[in-house]
Amino acid sequence: MISRAFRGFAPAVVVGVGGLAFWELSLLIIDPEGFVLPPPSSILAAFNENFEEIWVASMNTGFIVVTGLIGGVVLGVVWALLVSRFRLANETLTPLAISLNAIPIIALAPIFNAWYGLLSPVSNQAIVVILVFFPVFINTTKGLTDVGATEIELMRSYAASSWQVTRTVRFPNAMPYFFTSLKIASSLAVIGAIVAEYFGGRQDALGPLIVQNAGLTRYAEAWAAVLAGSVMGILLYLVSGAFERVSMPWRRDAETIGA
Amino acid sequence: MQWGKNKGLTRWLVLLAVFAMVVAACSSSDDDASGELTPVKLQLQWFTQAQFAGYFAAVDQGFYEGVGLDVTILEGGVDIVPATVLDSGAADFAISWVPRGLVPREEGLNITNIAQVFQRSATLQVSFADSGIDGVGDLAGKTVGNWGFGNEFELLAGLRSAGLDPATDVSLVQQQFDMLALISGDIDAAQAMIYNEYAQVLETINPATGNLYQPSDLSIINWNAVGTAMLQDAIWADADKLESDSAYRETAVKFVEASLRGWAFCRDEFDKCADIVLAAGPTLGESHQRWQLNEINNLIWPSPQGAGTMDAALWNQTVTVATSEGILSAAPTDGAYVSDIVSEALASLEADGVDMIGNGWEAKTIELKEGGE
Repeated sequence: MISRAFRGFAPAVVVGVGGLAFWELSLLIIDPEGFVLPPPSSILAAFNENFEEIWVASMNTGFIVVTGLIGGVVLGVVWALLVSRFRLANETLTPLAISLNAIPIIALAPIFNAWYGLLSPVSNQAIVVILVFFPVFINTTKGLTDVGATEIELMRSYAASSWQVTRTVRFPNAMPYFFTSLKIASSLAVIGAIVAEYFGGRQDALGPLIVQNAGLTRYAEAWAAVLAGSVMGILLYLVSGAFERVSMPWRRDAETIGA
Repeated sequence: MQWGKNKGLTRWLVLLAVFAMVVAACSSSDDDASGELTPVKLQLQWFTQAQFAGYFAAVDQGFYEGVGLDVTILEGGVDIVPATVLDSGAADFAISWVPRGLVPREEGLNITNIAQVFQRSATLQVSFADSGIDGVGDLAGKTVGNWGFGNEFELLAGLRSAGLDPATDVSLVQQQFDMLALISGDIDAAQAMIYNEYAQVLETINPATGNLYQPSDLSIINWNAVGTAMLQDAIWADADKLESDSAYRETAVKFVEASLRGWAFCRDEFDKCADIVLAAGPTLGESHQRWQLNEINNLIWPSPQGAGTMDAALWNQTVTVATSEGILSAAPTDGAYVSDIVSEALASLEADGVDMIGNGWEAKTIELKEGGE
């Protein structure tokens, strides 16, 4: 039991530690000053030294990430439900979603700052919502609509109502798609929040911390803030994975790799 | 051997011959100083504007050519860090504010300040006169904009000197490089350079009056008066190269000499200099560039010890603010600035009869037009 869990973790740990060791040692050989790309040791040192600052910044950015993620997910799911149920909705909302997704953040961020105010969290949350909703929408729609014809025919033979079909067939079918999109969305949320911060607003957030330190050639401190952002992304990914496992108990043994 | 039949060998010999010719052609075209200008690249700290007029004038008026240099000016920008460009060798000299040169220097880039062109700081904190912000202490509880990127240290030190904690007593806001946030009311006090963003407010129509904003509508905090001002535009060079490469050091002296001659030109031939800047394609228009040139001249002249000479008191103040703010972990090591290069340059300029002190400079009154046109 324990050895099985260990076998699950061990490769990841080995690769991770090995990679860090390689990074540290190769820099010792190539560039002892560790200027542009500092070795992991100095990044961790900078992380420790500036922990207070990084913690406060992570909390501020994290708030935007989580609230934006939730907002985007809700929007994406609702949009997907409408589109999968009503053909008219599909014809109008899907193109709208695609065009919204095509607008780059660089264009939207200053506009939102002007609309909602520089210090208002809404301007950054809006960026995150827009980034997150699209993958959730697309994947969930596919999950809701790409159902086997056999299952639908079976339900029809039971004289099931439309809602019953949705509840018993479409939702379970959509869940793997939804959770996959949630995992994608969580990293997009972190990226979106950090980039949106670059365009103005409070300075005690991860975006300014990274960019300003880099601008002052304080690369170890910049990487330390990047590390905080990565940790945030990983945590969200793990939480999504946990939700997935909890809500789909029947799929626990369904993943087969290299079988 | 049989040339015709052995195609492989023939091919190799032909390639070798071509290669040899190319190498010979390349190596014969450079070096040999007689008649050839030394190419020099200068990295500016910001976009093309009157802030760098002296260098543009030196190019336009042939001052660099006169000392044997062919100078290419590299425009700066938000994400361009002059110190890194200099250190990497992509530029031979760079214009940078002193703190923005000292921090990379502490991180390991061996660069040095060879001429302190701007003798005074130009940073202001600007608010509307009716906001009640007349002094640093009045910033408590307000939203205070600043640009970050190493531009905010005078503000932070100024706040502390008034007994305020920048983290808790004010709301620091990341400001874009314009004054829109102040004008829209998003922030109470905005960071501005007296030669740039301050003028941008004065080029905007006041909706209440229908005319341009006037200086009387604004309240400014000047860090020179507060005592936390830090030195700004200076010419930086690669310290390792200065020591190891005597040709580079010679180039540095000539570069400083011609640059300072350019700045003297911009003081004495104001209108011509303004036109040179406009010809270089700045973003903002004529009246803005003339205002800027006027204010820049105020920052350089008079230079009591000669333009480009380091004001020791202000250097110490800069270092004190930097270390007390934690920008630098310790005072800079020796060699952060050198005086010998600028002394040599000044000596030859004075021998040439060029006024390097500028006591005669009188600030002009520039009329701004809407949008800086």
